[in-house]
Amino acid sequence: MPNVTVDGTEIEVPEGATVLQACELAGKEIPRFCYHERLSIAGNCRMCLVEVKPGPPKPQASCALPATEGQEIRTDSEMVKKAREGVMEFLLINHPLDCPICDQGGECDLQDQAMAYGRGYTRYDENKRAVTEKYMGPLIKTIMTRCIHCTRCVRFSEEVAGVDEIGALYRGENMQITTYLEQAAEHELSANVIDLCPVGALTSRPYAYEARPWELKKTLSIDVSDAMGSNITLCSRGREVLRVLPRINDEVNEEWITDKARYQVDGLQRRRLDKVFLRKRGKLVEGSWDEAFKAIAKAKPGKSIAAIAGDMVDCETMFAAKALVKASGSDLVESRQTGMDYPTGNLAAVNFNTSFAEIENADAVLIVGSNLRTEAALLNVRIRKAVKRGAKVFVVGPEWETTYPAEFLGDDVSVLGKLPKAVTDAFKDAERPALILGAGGLAAGAYDSALGLVETLGLVKDGWNGFNVVHTAAARMGALMLGFAQDGGIADIAKAKPKLVLALGADEVDWEPFADSLKVYIGHHGDKGAHAADIILPAASYAEKPGSYVNTEGRVQFADKAVFAPGDAREDWTILRALADALKVKVGFDNFAQLRAAMTEEVPALAVEGLADYGSLPKTGKAAKAEGKIAYPIADFYLTNPIARASTTMQRCSAELIHGEDVREAAE
Amino acid sequence: MNFLSKIFTWWNGATIGTMLAAWRGFEHVGTDAQGNKYYRSKKKTGDGRERRWVIYEGSNDASRVPSEWHGWLHGLGEDVPESFLPPARIWETDYTPNATGTDTRYLPQGALEKGGHRARATGDYEAWSPDA
Repeated sequence: MPNVTVDGTEIEVPEGATVLQACELAGKEIPRFCYHERLSIAGNCRMCLVEVKPGPPKPQASCALPATEGQEIRTDSEMVKKAREGVMEFLLINHPLDCPICDQGGECDLQDQAMAYGRGYTRYDENKRAVTEKYMGPLIKTIMTRCIHCTRCVRFSEEVAGVDEIGALYRGENMQITTYLEQAAEHELSANVIDLCPVGALTSRPYAYEARPWELKKTLSIDVSDAMGSNITLCSRGREVLRVLPRINDEVNEEWITDKARYQVDGLQRRRLDKVFLRKRGKLVEGSWDEAFKAIAKAKPGKSIAAIAGDMVDCETMFAAKALVKASGSDLVESRQTGMDYPTGNLAAVNFNTSFAEIENADAVLIVGSNLRTEAALLNVRIRKAVKRGAKVFVVGPEWETTYPAEFLGDDVSVLGKLPKAVTDAFKDAERPALILGAGGLAAGAYDSALGLVETLGLVKDGWNGFNVVHTAAARMGALMLGFAQDGGIADIAKAKPKLVLALGADEVDWEPFADSLKVYIGHHGDKGAHAADIILPAASYAEKPGSYVNTEGRVQFADKAVFAPGDAREDWTILRALADALKVKVGFDNFAQLRAAMTEEVPALAVEGLADYGSLPKTGKAAKAEGKIAYPIADFYLTNPIARASTTMQRCSAELIHGEDVREAAE
Repeated sequence: MNFLSKIFTWWNGATIGTMLAAWRGFEHVGTDAQGNKYYRSKKKTGDGRERRWVIYEGSNDASRVPSEWHGWLHGLGEDVPESFLPPARIWETDYTPNATGTDTRYLPQGALEKGGHRARATGDYEAWSPDA
């Protein structure tokens, strides 16, 4: 632990810290462009210059200089001030003065640091450099003349995303950042380079010229496009969510979010359910809330009532629905829309037990039936980190393009019964082995044989639980915690032939077996569920209601309400509460606080933010034999939920990046 | 009909009383493009000023007085406006009265009467319809 002196105050810094980190620890702000905590050190912007003794009598780039015992660092001397002014002057020589029309304006590192450390006037009257426009796909807008060559985007795609998509051409002043052959950036995390870019060279294409940062209302929320529960900020103006930014949470999403989480929000303005619809003579026609409630009451469901929850529903909605179903005397509730029927008695057996932060330390990973890049792209980033630290990865399932070396073991689950020697050897030596069971594996019936491997591969050790399940639905773990499941899955509900089925944003259900039921769709988007419904009650999307979500590692997180739901739409729980009156049953809550209190009384774990404790894994005997081909549940990463399907940005991504249609625009 | 409406209405041109007064004590000075007639009193007031009037041809709407005659009504110049104002430029448009409340009023792009098509604004959304 070296002791260094920063501006006269002595501090102790951790081993291996850089001078820049030492200054940060001492509370000194060091301006920087290329340095980023989560990327490798490049040291090419020269903005972080400080004066260090002992050393050469010139300013040093602090980001690339290790802190050593007895160093004397000055960040406030005349030399440092002059050095910063000089670097800033050089950077601004080739940076256009187009802040008024630049989308980065107001949140631009260069703008801020030019104000704080720059000279305030220019001495340069030569011609400025100009760079030809580059094409980086439907999400990233480029104005490469603004680029200051920090290479954060290059390092991100190489190190974090794990795909060599962005690189640099030529040298020195003539350097240009581009995608190879000007193809679109295709990986699932590509838009994170927009946040990384310290200037306006890479900006958001769908958000171009939409708003300035200071006119946006920021609401803390949780992403529902996958089961990772990424922490996001919803930036809204008036009644519209204009953009989504990631929030830093090292436990969950670090600093990244997927492109779908970031760009599906324009779907919130399209195909919205904003009126009540009732089916009359086979056709859906507009109606009023009263009419709808009367029609539901007229069906006289009595005890014959069921609720099916969709993939993006919050816990409160599911609890309200369950309370309504229970008060009517039924227990038919289910959230696994596609018909999966794995046992849910022990929650630890359907949970990501290792936790996302810990999986980075795994040294052998067996992925069963999961295409992590599409199902949990941020988890894939963690696995890549583990591989960089020396982990071996094996995958059971059809081949997909991994971002790290991985061995595919065939696409039949039967291989779990007779694992190849390479796998058993790797796991025998492993101190922190992990198995990741995906939705594809669960659907193919690998649940029992995967649990059997806990014993065989020694997945549970002291302080380490390597049995992990990755879900694809943001609502899944919350639903399972609330007991929103049947033993036989959705088939049990179909067998019971309920008179009334409440579909809470359930769009993936096969409605064939429910032909005789009165189907009430409570949701926010007109998708498959709405087309199949008999009565549609417009509800709020994840941005339009407060709610709790539990991600696939069992982390309880709360989201706030950013905007109001459009038209006649109401928050889901109010609809269910009104429905209880129409059906003349008592659910025991009249406002949101009471609902939350009732919910946390039933499931206390939902009251506390953070990882819920699910106890230990169930004891299994001999591994059950399973057979069946694995198929991944996500065919099109960009169109997995009703919001994304309604989003023009996501549709364009799907057309261009997955189906290869040529929708390229001329460079502006 | 015209005669009856003259007796019972006050909002189209002069009432009968004003017509009588004009016939007795007004001197006709000029007529503007819309046919409104401008008068001045034959007698001066006590402090030596003359009084000036307009009798509208059609509705009694003060905004129908064109700017040059508006000046004249407020005491500008001795004789008709043409006598002291420079001749109208070729680029000058014809005077139009205030159109508020009439069919020729200004309607913004997004007004329903104009078809309701306006540029997209924040918060606009597209509602789902079962036929789509």
